[in-house]
Amino acid sequence: MPILPNTEFLVAHYMPYTELPPEESGRESLWVDIPNSLFDPKKGHDLYGRYFHEAVLAEKLGFDGICINEHHATASSMMPVPSLIAATIFAQTTKLKVCVMGTPPNMDSPNRLAETYAMLDVMSGGRLEVAIPLGTPMEYWVNPVAPATARKRHREAIDIILKAWSSREATSHDGEFYHYKYLNVWPRPYQDPHPPIFIVGSGSLETVDLAVEYGFGYASTFSPIPKQLAALDYFQKKTIESGRTVRPSMFPLTVMTYVAETDEQALAEFEPHAKYYFDFLLRPGEFANLPGYIGLDELRRRGGHVLPSSHGRFDWDDLQNFYRVAVGSAETVADKIEKWAEEVGSNRIIFEVHTGDMPHWKLAKNMTLLAEEVVPELKRRRDTNQPRAEAAE
Amino acid sequence: MNIAQKITRPSMEGFERVEYDVAGTKTVVYSIGSGDPVVFLHGGATFPGFEFARVWARDRKVIIPHHPGFGESGDDDRINSVHDYVLHYLDLFDQLKLDRFDLAGHSFGAWIAAEFAVEHSHRLRRLVLAGPTGLVINEHPTPDFFKIRAADLPEYLTADPEVARGLFPDGHDVDFLVLGYRETTSLSKVCWDKPQGNPTLGRWLHRIELPTLLVWGERDRLCPIEGASAWTRGLPDARLEVVPGTGHLVFEESPAAIDTAHRFLAA
Repeated sequence: MPILPNTEFLVAHYMPYTELPPEESGRESLWVDIPNSLFDPKKGHDLYGRYFHEAVLAEKLGFDGICINEHHATASSMMPVPSLIAATIFAQTTKLKVCVMGTPPNMDSPNRLAETYAMLDVMSGGRLEVAIPLGTPMEYWVNPVAPATARKRHREAIDIILKAWSSREATSHDGEFYHYKYLNVWPRPYQDPHPPIFIVGSGSLETVDLAVEYGFGYASTFSPIPKQLAALDYFQKKTIESGRTVRPSMFPLTVMTYVAETDEQALAEFEPHAKYYFDFLLRPGEFANLPGYIGLDELRRRGGHVLPSSHGRFDWDDLQNFYRVAVGSAETVADKIEKWAEEVGSNRIIFEVHTGDMPHWKLAKNMTLLAEEVVPELKRRRDTNQPRAEAAE
Repeated sequence: MNIAQKITRPSMEGFERVEYDVAGTKTVVYSIGSGDPVVFLHGGATFPGFEFARVWARDRKVIIPHHPGFGESGDDDRINSVHDYVLHYLDLFDQLKLDRFDLAGHSFGAWIAAEFAVEHSHRLRRLVLAGPTGLVINEHPTPDFFKIRAADLPEYLTADPEVARGLFPDGHDVDFLVLGYRETTSLSKVCWDKPQGNPTLGRWLHRIELPTLLVWGERDRLCPIEGASAWTRGLPDARLEVVPGTGHLVFEESPAAIDTAHRFLAA
């Protein structure tokens, strides 16, 4: 069966700072302790301008939404406060959804985060989606949250946000970590009772459990396909056990994508930026090794390392074989997306359209070919096959 | 002068091992020797072992519990502060029927020992604090343990980094990594955001009215010797013994430190 009806197509843009001097490539870490003397505010200003322009282009090309995320003290992102990015995109667009994937709620005041998101939802007329992460290990070095209690705080903060969004009168919260005498968001969210919520995870079953418990979707981060599929199986099994149905929108399919005229040209145009991203930008050094971040069984499964070795090491074969990377002609990319969408049963496809230090022309080319060739082709296959698929049921 | 000597790889051979249930938490207690009891509270990691206890055990019973969240003891979610550890040990010492005994601690264990002594000095006879953490000394801040890179750790632990390296396994050892991660996690539960220690401990040191020995490596980089005077100023009856040419793991690096503490306990 090809892609599902009502499939939504989104892009993801992580807005990295791409103007680091090349001699910094010897640095052990570009995260947490990177000196901000390496950040040139004028170049940063120009990059923001470019990236917002690209968000507007996503709307013009007909994409349904854009996903943005949050990282701190790293050259791989200029979005430590993604709500500001969302507000700016909303102001420059009229239809585009923004999925903020997002602020770890235990690193903000939970009520203030509920207020921020509610404001965005009202200002945008209900175009906000929220994905809630625990945050990478690296974020905890630059935020005042003890990692050993991070998961408990995370859970309690989600409770507070849900309570604040769902209650139509002043309520309160008295928990282990947070106390609110009155909890009362004003404005309340535009969407009723609140924007769609996903839990962001890298495959650890503890995080899948959290999504199932709340009935949220589960958004995989960049992690190997077998691990994503294992998480999906577990998600489906647990959701059904809890008496709920699995909706196709609950498990977004995220694909690192680059489209060009031919497979060879696509790879040639894409590869240097992937290399830049994995070898250079995504380098956490020792800061990945955060005490209290993962359970001991998980640590043992990972061979004693907190983060998988994909961080800071580019291997094209590895990427092709184990990750959802679709780089090639429109046909190649459409084939891969169709296969994976079927494998996952998702009607929500997220294209990571900007990788590493990709220049604007490549991003524009990539998004344009996606919008004008890949997405229409996927829809054509759906529409021609749909009656047959229904008849077979 | 560097009097450092490499001590043999730690083992628990010859120690007696007993498991206790302390309010639902498995607590493993090793002991060796016979005589008047001295309890030793280990630092933020168990891998350095307890070889020094064999010397003390010539005329004493040395009792070495593993803290909850460390070594062979179980985890306890309810322990989130040094005071929680003090209460845990109050329970354990009752079970062990220790009425009046000597207490010694190293590093993080010395912090627990000091807080225990502040509250329960009437149960103690003599106190040994070796390379203690826990006292906030604004003029001489200690390095933040959690920020030390794994590769740099040996240089922080012993004056001669080879001594510390000898305590680490050769090559990639998942069990060792997992144990270290677990113990550092347990430590982070009580002092991730307070790496300098308990800001109110200094206010109460005067309550430790018992003979106290501070054993301190002259070249301790985790708890620099400059901080020792703040302890001697605050403790009513303390003597400082500086161990030359020695780093933070005083008992692993210096037989002289073991003997000094042994003699003090014998008095």
